[in-house]
Amino acid sequence: MSLPRLDALPLDLIVFGITGAAALTSAVMVVKHRSLVYAAVFLALLGVSNAAFFAMLGYSFISLFHIAVYVGASVTFILFSITMFRKVPSVEAPAKALAVASGVLAVLALAYVFYTYLESPTSTVTVTYRELSRLFVERYRFPLIVASIALVTTMIEGITLARREVRA
Amino acid sequence: MVTAYWFLVMSASMFGIGLYGLTSRRNVLRMLLSAEVIFNAALLALLTVSSISPEGSAAGGVLALLAISIAAAEVGVIVSVAVLLFQVKGSVDVYELSKSKG
Repeated sequence: MSLPRLDALPLDLIVFGITGAAALTSAVMVVKHRSLVYAAVFLALLGVSNAAFFAMLGYSFISLFHIAVYVGASVTFILFSITMFRKVPSVEAPAKALAVASGVLAVLALAYVFYTYLESPTSTVTVTYRELSRLFVERYRFPLIVASIALVTTMIEGITLARREVRA
Repeated sequence: MVTAYWFLVMSASMFGIGLYGLTSRRNVLRMLLSAEVIFNAALLALLTVSSISPEGSAAGGVLALLAISIAAAEVGVIVSVAVLLFQVKGSVDVYELSKSKG
């Protein structure tokens, strides 16, 4: 039995395979790596892999936004916050078998639920900036306001908590 | 051609890995990182399903943008809580949170 030639495979399948392998490896390393700093770096890699998936689906603007905001801000924030802890004690729960079982069951259940999409081809959508901004202003104005308020209150909360001094 | 199912299977696998991390750890920062893996899985599922539906593709994009923004806010909140917990208790064990008052 001979393996299929690499140039005979469709390009999207090759890209999907490489991106998927990178995403799953990064996800495992986020959970399993002993160092929190490296775990955060692998979370950034997971974010980049996910952005590649979004671009494959046709959401190139959201892919860029994901890299800029999620990888560039959130993951970097986590990474720098970890350095604030002098030593982070590792606390492990005893119920590891239960955790593995719940993870495997979740994967199987979701694969079953998603089975209806087995034959659905992914259509590359084209969402323009104009359409996105129109939707934000006309249909999703209230969620936009709520998201803005959430971001502002987070900033205030972060400053308040960081300024709190511990009494000796 | 890669069908939508394989994107969703990828999302389900990421969700399972994140769920394992979330349930097997007591360190707040570890739990946050695992929750972020689950968030990435959910976002991928949302965009995959919205790319299939002809009407909902733009709406799915808007929801994804909002979700990414809210996730950034959520990271700020949890890291602030973790920093405060470490300052007060000297530990980031999530069980210490249940003993906190006020």
